[in-house]
Formats: sequence, C-alpha cells, structure tokens
Amino acid sequence: MPTIDISLKDLSKLVGKEITLENFEPEALLWIKGEIDGIDGDNLKIDCKESNRPDLWSTEGIARAVSPFYTKERGIRKYKVEDSDVYLHVDRSVDKIRPYISAAIIEDITITDDLIKQLIQIQEKVTTTFGRKRKAAAIGIYDFDKMTPPITYKAFKPTELKFIPLGFTKEMTLKDILIHHPKGQEFAHLLTDFDKYPIVIDNKDIVASMPPVINSESTGKVTEKTKNLFIEVTGINLDDTQVALNIVVCALADRGGKIKTVLVDYGEKHLRTPDFTPKRIKVKFTEIEKITGMKFSLKELKDLLEKQQYEVKKAKDCLEVEYPSYRQDIMHPVDVIEDILISYGYNKVTPILANLATTGELSPIEEFCEEIRELIPGFGAQELLNFTLTNKEILFKKMNLKEENCVEIANPVSNKWTNLRNAIIPSLMDFLEHNTSQEYPQQVYEVGDIVIINDRAETKTDTRKHLAWALADKEANFTKAKQIITYILTGLNIDFQIEEESNDSFITGRCARIIANKKVLGYFGEIHPKVLQNFSIEFPICALELDITELFILKK
Amino acid sequence: MQEIVSTLHPLERKLLPFLKNNIGFQELQELSKMQEVEVMRALQWMENKNILKIKTDSKIIINLGEFGKKYQKEKLPERRLLEQLKENKLILSEINIPKEELNIAIGELKKKAAINLGKEVEITEQGKKLLTKEFLEEKLIKTLPKELKDLTDEEKLAYENLKKRKDIILTEEIKTRTITLTELGKKLTKEKLDLDLIETLTPKIIQDKSWENKQFRKYDIKTTVPRTYCGKRQPYMQFLNKIKFKLVQLGFKEMSGPLIETEFFNFDVLFQPQDHPARTWTDTYHLKNPTLGKLPDDLVVNRVKHAHENGGRTGSTGWGYKWNPEIAKQLMPRAHTTAVSARRMVKGIEVPSKYFCIAKCYRPDVLDATHLIEFNQMEGIVTDPSISFATLLGMLKHFAIEIAGAEEVKFFPDYYPFTEPSVQISAKHPQLGWIELGGAGIFRPEITQTLGIDTPVMAWGFGIDRLAMFKLGIKDIRYLFSQDLKWLREARMN
Repeated sequence: MPTIDISLKDLSKLVGKEITLENFEPEALLWIKGEIDGIDGDNLKIDCKESNRPDLWSTEGIARAVSPFYTKERGIRKYKVEDSDVYLHVDRSVDKIRPYISAAIIEDITITDDLIKQLIQIQEKVTTTFGRKRKAAAIGIYDFDKMTPPITYKAFKPTELKFIPLGFTKEMTLKDILIHHPKGQEFAHLLTDFDKYPIVIDNKDIVASMPPVINSESTGKVTEKTKNLFIEVTGINLDDTQVALNIVVCALADRGGKIKTVLVDYGEKHLRTPDFTPKRIKVKFTEIEKITGMKFSLKELKDLLEKQQYEVKKAKDCLEVEYPSYRQDIMHPVDVIEDILISYGYNKVTPILANLATTGELSPIEEFCEEIRELIPGFGAQELLNFTLTNKEILFKKMNLKEENCVEIANPVSNKWTNLRNAIIPSLMDFLEHNTSQEYPQQVYEVGDIVIINDRAETKTDTRKHLAWALADKEANFTKAKQIITYILTGLNIDFQIEEESNDSFITGRCARIIANKKVLGYFGEIHPKVLQNFSIEFPICALELDITELFILKK
Repeated sequence: MQEIVSTLHPLERKLLPFLKNNIGFQELQELSKMQEVEVMRALQWMENKNILKIKTDSKIIINLGEFGKKYQKEKLPERRLLEQLKENKLILSEINIPKEELNIAIGELKKKAAINLGKEVEITEQGKKLLTKEFLEEKLIKTLPKELKDLTDEEKLAYENLKKRKDIILTEEIKTRTITLTELGKKLTKEKLDLDLIETLTPKIIQDKSWENKQFRKYDIKTTVPRTYCGKRQPYMQFLNKIKFKLVQLGFKEMSGPLIETEFFNFDVLFQPQDHPARTWTDTYHLKNPTLGKLPDDLVVNRVKHAHENGGRTGSTGWGYKWNPEIAKQLMPRAHTTAVSARRMVKGIEVPSKYFCIAKCYRPDVLDATHLIEFNQMEGIVTDPSISFATLLGMLKHFAIEIAGAEEVKFFPDYYPFTEPSVQISAKHPQLGWIELGGAGIFRPEITQTLGIDTPVMAWGFGIDRLAMFKLGIKDIRYLFSQDLKWLREARMN
C-alpha cells in the first residue's frame, strides 16, 4: 500500500552488507512483500503491499526485516533500554478527547540528512495508513534539550493558551491555529467536536505540541545540531500508540541512538514506555501441516521462523513463538504460517493438483441471457456492451421523460457517471449519438444489467437483466420492432398481449407495452423526433426494451 | 465485341445510341431523356469498361447579379447623380437618389474626381467631361455574361471594382463534361444493341420458360458493391464467454450477486475493519440514493461483529474496536467480486465445491486508456478438506495454463485483507512475456469459521482485461466497452 523511498547505500550501511538491485530484488524484496515502483540511480521507490506492517515503512524497518537474509542475525533484535527519571503526567482532561500517550527519549543521536528524510517518511506513512490519518496515532518528535521535565499531557480551552506553531513566527491561540495554519486546517476536524484541545507542555509551560495537529516552533524542530530527542505518540488506543512509538524508537536505535524510557503517569496506573516485551502466540503443528500442505521438522520450522525474526519458546503440543513488540499484524496463527512459507520461499513449494469431483454450470439466468444474446444477431443487430454508469441527462432529460427515482452516486468522479441506469434504451441512444457519421442502417442491441429502486429489497434495489434493441434507418418503424418482439416471445412459447402505452420517449399511438401473465414485460415503438433531436440523430429509430428477468421467471 | 455487348447494363444500353465523340454531358442528357444520375452512372461504368473517357473542364463565368440586372436597364447610381449635378450644386437632401445608393454614388464619383464635397455637392471639370463619356463599369455591364479569361485589361479593372459592390456581379464556376470515345467505343456505337437479354430473373420468366431462348446479361462481377454489416456479438463479450465455458469445463458453478451491495457483504463479512483506509471515499463509490440497506439475520451479523471485535470463536484477536452495524448497512456499488463470494459463503457452500463469477465492479478512477470506472473481475472460490497452500499453487498453475495459455508460472508473497497466506501469480505468456495474472490465497479463518465453514476455502482472482486486450488486439482499455460502431463492425478475434 504505501510507497517507501529508500537508498541502496543507506540500506547497505544499516544491514552491514553490500546490497545491490541484483541481490535485493529477486528474493529479499519478497520477504517484505515489496515491489519496485521506480528506480532513480541509487534511490528506489518500493511499493509495500502489506498494509498491516507499519514496521516495514522505512529504510530502517526494511533493513531490519531483510538482515537475516544477508547476515547471521536471527530472532528478535535486542535493544538496550535504560530507564530515565522523566515523568509524563496525563491529566484526566484528555480522557474523552485523545486519552493515550506513549513516549521515549533518544540520546546521543547523530542527525544526518538520511535520518531526517527517514524520520519524516516514518511519521507520514505510519500516521497516514496505520494511524488512520492521525486519528488513531500521531507522532511528535522534539529537541529534548529544549524541554524541561516533567512533561504534562493536558487539554486546554481553544482560547486559553497561545503558542507559535511550527513554521510560523507569531504566537496564536489554539483556535486560531486550527483556522490559519495549513496543518491546523487539515486536521481540525479531529478536534473541533471537543470543547478542549490536547496539549503536550513542559514544566516551564513551554508548549511542545497540540496533538494530533502541530508541533511548536520552539521545541518541535529537529536539525543537524539536535543531540537528544523526545518522542511521543498520542492516540485513542494504547496498543496503537505503543506500536507506533516502538517503530520510531527502533529506527532511531538502529541508527545509533540510545533508548531511555519515560514513566507515563495516568494517575491510578503508571506505565514505562517504550515497552519491548515480545508478543507471544501459539501455533499448532497440525495447523502448519494442514495449511502449508507440507511436513516440516522442528529444526526446519525453528530455522524458518528465526529468519523471520520469531523465537521459538516451547515446542510440545504446539509451537509457542515470540515476535517483536512492534508487529501488530499477527492476529491468528495463520499469520505466522504465512511467514513460515515466505521464509521457505513460495517457488520452492511443489504445486499439487487436487482432483475435486465437482460439476460446473452457468447460472440459469445467465444461461437464459446468453440464449437471447445469440438470437438477436440473426436480425442483423450488432451486440453492444455499454457502461451501467450513466447520468440523469441521458436517462431522463434527453429521453423526454420525467425524472424517476434511481440509484445515485454520492462521490462521482465526473458528472458523466452519476447514476446507474434503470433501462438500456438510453445507453443505446447514447451509443447511436456517438456514431451518426457511420453508415446506416444501424442496428444494435444489448442484454445487460439495470438497477431499479425497491424499498423492500435487502439492498433497497433490484439488479435485473434487460434486453434493449434499436434500429436507426430510414425505414425503421413500429412493425420492425413488433416483428422482433413477436419472434422472441412466440419462440419462447409465451402467451402475450399488446396494449397501448403512453411513454413520452415514443410517438403517441406508436408505442406499446407487452403484457404476459398480467405482468409488464417491456415496451417498444417508434422513438419521438424530439428525443432523436436531443441525441442529434437524423434517422428514424424504432426500439424495444424487454425485462429478461421477468421473462425468465415466467418461463420457469 | 459481343462479349462486351452482353455485359452492358440497361442504362448503358439506353445511352449508347446517343454517344458521339466530344458530345457534352448536358446535350447527352437532353437527347437521351435520362435522369442526370442515370447518365452519370452509365458513363462511369462505360469508362470502367474502357468504352469512353470523361473529360471535365471548368469555366469561370461572370454574370449579372440582382442589382447588375437592374443597372443594365436603369443606369448606375453614380451616372444618375452626375446628371443631376450637371446644372446645379445640390445639398444632400435635394439629391433624388435612394439613400442606400447615394453613399456609393458619392464615393464612386469622388474616386473619379468628378465631384467636390462641401456643404453642397458640386461637379468638377473632370466630372463635366465624364458627362459624355461612358464609365468602364457601364461598358462591362452591357457585355455580360462573359468568361473571366476573355476580359480585357479595362474590363478587368471594372470587374474588380464592381465585385466589391453588392449583388452587381455574380462569379460562377461552371463544370462541363465532354465525352471522348475510345477506339472500342467508336466500334461499339456502330454495333447492333437490340440483343434481347434477360436483366432480372423473375418468377414470371421461370414460370413461362421464356428464358429458354434468351441470354442473360452478363454482370461486371468485379464491380464494387455497397458494404453490408451482419449482426454479430460484441468481441469482449465473446471473449468472456469463452472463459466462462472454460471454467464450467473445469467444474466451476457460476455465482451471482447484486450490483448494489451493503458494506456488510463488500467489506465486513470479509474481515475488513470499518476504519480501514480502503473503505474510504477515495477508494470506493458510495451512494446518495438509496443509502442504507438491511443486514441478514442476527446470527450471521453477531458472529461477524465478534470476529471484528475480538475474533469470536476463530482463535483470532480480532481488530479490537467496536463494530458498528450502521456502517455495515451502507450501500455501495460493488467494489470487488469478492463481495459475490462473500454472499455465496453466507448462503452456504457444498464440500467439495468450486464457484466462479465474472462480474462488474465499480471504482472511482478517472476513465482513460488504462483505467475503467466500471470493469469485470473474474474470481473463484474452491473448498475441500484437502485445500492447502500446495494445492492452491497447483490449481493456480493449472488455471494459468488452461485460461491464460501460460508456459511457466512464478509465485510471489502478497497481501490481501481477506486471505492468509496470500500469493500473487505471474505467468509467462508466449506473446506477452511475463505478466501479472492475479492474486489468490486461503480465506482467513475470521471469515470462513465465522460463517460456519470448517474446510479451508481458497479464493483466486485473475485480471482478465489485459488478456482480453491482447486477444482483441487493442491498446486502449475503453474499447472493451466500445462506443465505436465502426470498430465493432470490423473487429476480429486474434
């Protein structure tokens, strides 16, 4: 899903082995479900297809995941963590707004160009997709030397507090920041429902940020001179904030930063973050065998899992494995089994052709449609396949009809595609309008889907099959249409009656509806010159529309 | 010679007696009393048979327009003005010339320096001389009509001058056609043409056997005939049909579902969390009308709710959020065929079984040569206790060979929200080279076990559009739903 920018040089440095396109693309890249989307010299754009692995959305994350492919590294990467005496007080005022915060300190980091680029990338990718556009997780990174602990996370009234937002020069109220700052405008909707906004503030009352919107100019700027960092992740679910924090912290540690914890004080409970305790899951041996379709020895399994950064803890009735704290995609043993298969290599699996005793068949209505479709070319008609998406102009206005209740798209990409058709004749008319320069006679038909509103239906609509046919010719008339209707219906042995129909798309007195078993099956006739004029067509047209679904029910 | 005579069409026969060298088209039409189009057609056919040559000349004729004709009788306005000024100076209102002609008359006389224009209009010496002299324009008007190339230099000057004035001069191009007979033609005009040939064979001729002693006129069998188009199937539909029949042969039952779906079947049954980015407005269409559908029975809905919230009884952790039935009720045009599979599985599936569908899906893309807003996806599900990753690969390889004509296949790890493990299949096609054929996987237990299906269900989807484009020889994907009648009439399968 996300596209990640990495440089091969940077990746090589992080892995400690020379990595080139040749030794990266064919295999190691598959471990992270990546696909190269663009190459510019040493820089690659990698499409990371896995949308539940935010830990892979940075060069550091990719380097960590592919490291066992190039080196002897196995199992979960261990990080040295020291406790700091920094407190982060969480005031109850944030409870209903954005209740959770997890934080960490990184010391002695050398900020390079590559690092700054990656920090921006991690923040953006992790908070956009995993963080649901900052709603579930927003990351703040600060120059810790400019902050005075203890830190407080607390909500303030929109006009009660002022600070200079990042990139600005003047102090503004919280309310004004949401109105005037570009990031304020972008993310204001996440806060404006509340009467107070969350703030990260230090002991000297210097504002660090207003999560999830914007950092302050005074502490929220990281430059090449920055030595020590304070990192916090806010959100509405504790797990998400911890996963996002661990992803950022591990990336910085991979670049030589020293990790120190922060004590987050929620009042009745205290939490030390970041917490790298590995997560644990049990996988049955039988399940591995059933899903992979292969037998593995315990040693093989251990080896395959360790290459994917798991650690096998117990192996009695089932396999009990641990995996890194930053992974949140493992919900079920099948997720571990897929990693075993990726570690083994998909193309090393021998495909087995299972012979299943099943009989194939077309759906009866589709088969019936196909019979009708085969019948019409005999009259000289060309089959068409038109879009079911269209617009009210074509469906009603140009057809000289009053607007009817029909399916309407809420977010159309163009005003040409705003509705689903409720009849096929308008599609044929639109087609004929596009072909007025072609030779006449023009005879066309389509058997396809239409959708009508039905309040009693589960989806408030019925998808039905219709046939529409049209002939544009100087000799097109009612008789021609009636001949075809008669041929189709008598051929199907349907007893039907013809009644006069008043339909403003047709010439009065030259339009009929078809009735069978007291149900209306369709209508046909000569198209009104007003409609022809609306479609810029200068030849007479006779047309018919037949409800194939109704006909099918009748036939049964 | 007789050979040629017997191929002559009745129109040619009718015209032949009037033909002579250098005869004009007009004259020929008058003599033969045939219609212009008949004469033309007969001449063209005879030209094809090398009987004659049609020579086309064009002449430019200068003639009098509406005003020109009037002035031929009445004198030009400038002449009338000059004559009125002969004795007296006049102020404008005293001049007896219609307003629309007066300005031109004054302009023309000023150009010829025949008048002075002050408060009054006064004749000059030059003007007085001109009283007795004919203007060049007057001379020209008298001699018309005339051919442009015959004009003298003086006349040309007058012509250019008059051309600028309204409706005096009419310039027409006249095309004249003259016929020259070839040697063959000359001989043919001397030939006897009263051969009694049968033109059209009619029921009467058959009944009265009058054909027995007569010859049939020979047709020019090489002549081009007007094109005719017979009715036929849409090429992409034909392609889809072929694939459908292939799948039926492979033991698949066709499944179907509605075009408008609830999010429940499009996403929730398939274990897509309700806040997943793929469910947002940029990735899928939503409806303004109607907006909300109904959910199936509580048992299914509750099990899906639990699968999302805590994994239910599937051994999964679930997504850990509060599932909202109102979101699941929202209606949308189906975004993928997996919604059809979801519906099938909720209805219940046999073991073993294979189902497929080739069905329409909608996505808010911009319509261009590589993107459709409405397209077909092909999808299948297979269930059996023996389904595993190895049998999944076996079946995919088999399809790649059967359906896409692949020579070799490769598998890649991939991610789909509904399957684990997931795999992407690439196939080496004899003409296209390596192409990404589609994706597959085993449905997550959060989906199947929630719906009470205990056997593994594999799902696969192939992108058939690219294959269709190759088979139909098209580069622009919009041609699958072509609005181009010419292309449809002429399209052939590769």
